[in-house]
Amino acid sequence: MNEPDARLGALYPHLKTARATDPEALLDSIRSKAADSCALKQQYFAAHAGDLLAAATAIADVFAGDGRMFSMGNGGSSCDAAHFAVEFTHPVTVGRPSLPTMHLADDTALLTAIGNDVGFGQVYLRRLIALARPGDGVIAFSTSGNSDNLVAALEQAARMDVQTFAVLGGSGGNIRSRQLARHILCVESDSIHRVQEVHVAIYHVLWDLVHTLLADRRGAQAS
Amino acid sequence: MKYVDEFRDPQLARRALDEIVRLADAVRKLRDRPLQIMEVCGGHTHAIFRYGLQDLIPPSMEFVHGPGCPVCVLPMGRVDDCIALAQTPGVILTTFGDAMRVPGSRGSLLQARAEGADVRMVYSPADALDLARRHPDREVVFFALGFETTMPATALTVLQAEREGIHNFSLFCNHITIIATIKAMLDSPDLRLDGFLGPGHVSMVIGTEPYEFIAQHYRKPMVIAGFEPLDILLSLQMLLEQIHSGRCEVQNQYARVVARRGNDPALDAINSVYELREFFEWRGLGSIDASGVRLRSTYARFDAEQKFSVPSVRIPDPKACQCGEVLKGVIKPWECKQFGTACTPEQPLGALMVSSEGACAAYYRFGKRRSLSEEPATI
Repeated sequence: MNEPDARLGALYPHLKTARATDPEALLDSIRSKAADSCALKQQYFAAHAGDLLAAATAIADVFAGDGRMFSMGNGGSSCDAAHFAVEFTHPVTVGRPSLPTMHLADDTALLTAIGNDVGFGQVYLRRLIALARPGDGVIAFSTSGNSDNLVAALEQAARMDVQTFAVLGGSGGNIRSRQLARHILCVESDSIHRVQEVHVAIYHVLWDLVHTLLADRRGAQAS
Repeated sequence: MKYVDEFRDPQLARRALDEIVRLADAVRKLRDRPLQIMEVCGGHTHAIFRYGLQDLIPPSMEFVHGPGCPVCVLPMGRVDDCIALAQTPGVILTTFGDAMRVPGSRGSLLQARAEGADVRMVYSPADALDLARRHPDREVVFFALGFETTMPATALTVLQAEREGIHNFSLFCNHITIIATIKAMLDSPDLRLDGFLGPGHVSMVIGTEPYEFIAQHYRKPMVIAGFEPLDILLSLQMLLEQIHSGRCEVQNQYARVVARRGNDPALDAINSVYELREFFEWRGLGSIDASGVRLRSTYARFDAEQKFSVPSVRIPDPKACQCGEVLKGVIKPWECKQFGTACTPEQPLGALMVSSEGACAAYYRFGKRRSLSEEPATI
């Protein structure tokens, strides 16, 4: 195959990247995606550092009041919710205490039972009713902000006096427009991959902030 | 009429059809399912139904209707954004007639006009530019949509606006590229297609070269086809000859219009005005990498998304709507529960019912309803 016309190459990048013999095009693609990812992170944290601190303080309040955190999401965001839970439950930094956090999709028997018997829109709501109590917190991860099961669970959490958090993407969807969470961290990009990359950075930063805030409070109490 | 009568000759059509039946039946004997041929372009879908070709092809093959109707694949959120633009004080929103009927989550542009927004139908982006010239105190936004076929016209209009120093004209750009979508379908693990009827109008602009990866990399044959009945039948015959003989090539049946290297001035205009978006959302299909374009930063002052506050809402398709399944060829239009009841060309629920090039509208208007023998038995 000959080299494509530069105008067609600009319109159809796969005409280059489809060739395994053109590693430079693949390397360009990698660099470009990495640059986009970094730019979005910098842009988000520059604009929303205050929101992150407010959310971290509220999560620290939940743990300080003997509450527990619950996390939920769908697909890749469910993996993020699981990652969020494991960071708090099993901290990798020596000296930081384990904080009670549960991923609401970790019980496949229950998830499939509710999904099959009642409907997928109820899977998180039902678990929250069974497990949560006033003073706990729940955090939803969603790149669209429109998932029915997250919307239903956040509405239920508010009724149960459970503190609500949402880590979103795009326009923030229904969760943002209806203000279904008290703390909303929204990465305004339409690229699901780039949004989720920023989400990972957000909950790693949140985790660190929460531990710092709790350590400060323990220090203040000791002195 | 020249270029029409000779492409509707019944004798030639019969001869081509006999050959299609012979070839399709011969291939069918070697496989466990009918051949699936996708006509990519909505114009072909319309022509197939309009001329009854759907009913003439043998049972050993079937058409799969592709995503090549730009109105049909526009997500609801983009329509909502467009309505928000139309409702911006001082804005005259202009677009083509079929785009005015596409349903968003809270109605269509036609409904927005009924509620007081200044929405006007135009026949070309040049008409919209003319409106801008005549109303220097207003902001004229053109709702630009379509594949590579319509990109040159909007690009040339932007270049014209720049030459004339017109600053009250902008595009709400929703142009998409068909090639990225064909590639996405070819990458799909459940792909069952055996070949493609290639889009004639898009190819007039881009030529035949960009399709060559389909034959070389994915080993699927393609024939770029015209839009008259004999164009389609002859293209089918060429496609079946390839499949029968085990060849995979890109052939050009529509040579009277499509040149191998496309149209130079059109490609120049596209290239100077537009750049690729990282991805674009397609209704019913989801997000597809590098499948849409936006204005280059050099032309940011003509970009409505830069000039105005656009909400950028993402709206899921209505639950009852099965346009996505129809677009992917999973179900036929008449298998959708809303087809012909809640969803009609007069009151479309799904986008495939809006444009005459949409598969559902074509079935509704020209297709045969299910026969009684096809209805499931009831006790």
